Amino acid sequence: MSSLYERLGGEAAVDAAVDIFYRKVLSDERISNYFDDVDMDTQSAKQKAFLTMVFGGPNNYSGKDMREGHKDLKGGKMDDSHVDAVIELLGGTLQELGAAAADIQEVAGIANSVRDDVLNR
Amino acid sequence: MTFIVFDDQKIELSDGQTVLSALLDQGFDIPNSCQAGACQTCMMQVKEGEIPAKAQAGLKDTLKAQGYFLACNCTPQKPLNITACNAAKMRTSAKVVAHDALGTDVMRLRVKPAEPFTYHPGQYLTIWKTETIGRSYSIASVADFDHYVELHIRRVKNGVVSRWLYDNVAVGESIQIQQATGNCFYTHGNPEQNILLAGTGTGLAPLIGVARDALQHDHSGAIHLIHGASTVDDLYMHQTLVKMAQLYSNFYYYACVRKAERVSLPVTGESIQTIMMSVAAVPAQWKVYLCGGPNMVSSLKKAIFLAGASMKNIYSDPFITSHSS
Ligand SMILES: Cc1cc2nc3c(=O)[nH]c(=O)nc-3n(C[C@H](O)[C@H](O)[C@H](O)COP(=O)(O)OP(=O)(O)OC[C@H]3O[C@@H](n4cnc5c(N)ncnc54)[C@H](O)[C@@H]3O)c2cc1C
Ligand code: HEM
Ligand code: FES
Repeated sequence: MSSLYERLGGEAAVDAAVDIFYRKVLSDERISNYFDDVDMDTQSAKQKAFLTMVFGGPNNYSGKDMREGHKDLKGGKMDDSHVDAVIELLGGTLQELGAAAADIQEVAGIANSVRDDVLNR
Repeated sequence: MTFIVFDDQKIELSDGQTVLSALLDQGFDIPNSCQAGACQTCMMQVKEGEIPAKAQAGLKDTLKAQGYFLACNCTPQKPLNITACNAAKMRTSAKVVAHDALGTDVMRLRVKPAEPFTYHPGQYLTIWKTETIGRSYSIASVADFDHYVELHIRRVKNGVVSRWLYDNVAVGESIQIQQATGNCFYTHGNPEQNILLAGTGTGLAPLIGVARDALQHDHSGAIHLIHGASTVDDLYMHQTLVKMAQLYSNFYYYACVRKAERVSLPVTGESIQTIMMSVAAVPAQWKVYLCGGPNMVSSLKKAIFLAGASMKNIYSDPFITSHSS
């Protein structure tokens, strides 16, 4: 059976998703302030890393990396509501791209699995 | 924490410190300007050690292969042995062939490089005033048609390089320039695509370069150029652009001035963003070029992206000045 990453469409799917997802993030008042000040080109590359990871694609991020990377973000202290928002926008993005409901669930599961690392607890 | 070896001297780096900042702290006179990885004046070369990928972002493959990197973007995790870049190898002299005022505070500098000099219109080169003081200027000429490299230089109050170019450099003299870089240029293969060019002040220089390049290559899609300025007098290429719009049916020009009294089209009192959104209301397939003041560039970039332009189709050159970041 093919992997989640393959089913979603691999790197091409990540490329298609990155603009849609980033646009949602920048327009969402719950979390946009975390992304406002960052250079958009760098940020776009990081979104790609994020999407590859939660699509189950090849990545080298450890839990520790996630902890370090989200510990001192400029937008202030994060809580569950922020992670929920990210997962919701991720689902919306995949829906727009026509992904199957089961696959969207699986992606949400991967994102959820690093919740405690992202929130540093 | 790690350290670098610079010309046989060991220098400690604090956590997250860049190579440039450590060297400047030690009193070394290392060239730099933007401190943001754009101007490439702080280029250095590695003798031994591993350069973080970020420190080579934007460099040509040939330079990467020779171990060149940008000191302002280099925060090594492991020791690095480095040396200053061999300036003579990187620079070439260029003779000033024209030096004219274009507007209140803008002048046109045309130079002829002594050696073959390849560039894409819209890229920028470095002008070196001295061995260690260099600044970026964008290219408005088109290599295939113009026999000179044209730059538009705004006179900055107390500006070290711009005032020197304005007041002290004259026709017939030679200045030192460094190869062109940057990715704000016209790319072939999509002649029907609509193009949006927007910028403030001398951000117009690269935009004109891109527009002329596209037109000379028979681009058939619409090309919309928006120039923002404080006053009508700062629209320093107004007549040229009006003529271009008459000459080419697919070229459109808009001028946005902040202090607009009794203006008539193509000059308006609307903001650049307003004009941009009305011209490119559905920008999903457009190619977008944004140049000039960093704040303006970043807000236009966000606006056009949110309106549907794709990140990979947005090219921007914020004119980051020293100490402004
Ligand atoms: C990619 C890129 C492309 C560029 N292209 C062009 C171009 O085509 N034409 C052009 O004229 N410039 C361009 N610039 C800006 C240019 O490189 C210099 O920064 C500018 O000429 C000022 O240099 P200076 O040595 O005269 O002033 P500096 O001695 O560096 O600065 C003197 C003082 O003036 C302030 N200052 C500098 N610039 C400004 C400004 N614009 N407005 C207000 N205060 C300022 C500085 O913060 C400093 O306090 C570009 C910059 C970049 C990064
Ligand atoms: C849901 C689980 C999440 C995962 C799996 C995740 C994953 C990632 C990854 C892989 C990166 C790139 C790191 C790098 O290469 O530097 C990143 C960066 C980032 N993340 Fe997350 N993230 C999550 C949640 C969040 C949340 C909830 C926020 C804030 C609302 C957030 C804000 C950011 C920001 C601002 C960056 C960029 C940091 C920088 O520019 O250095 N993330 N994330
Ligand atoms: S690229 Fe390093 S100072 Fe500009």
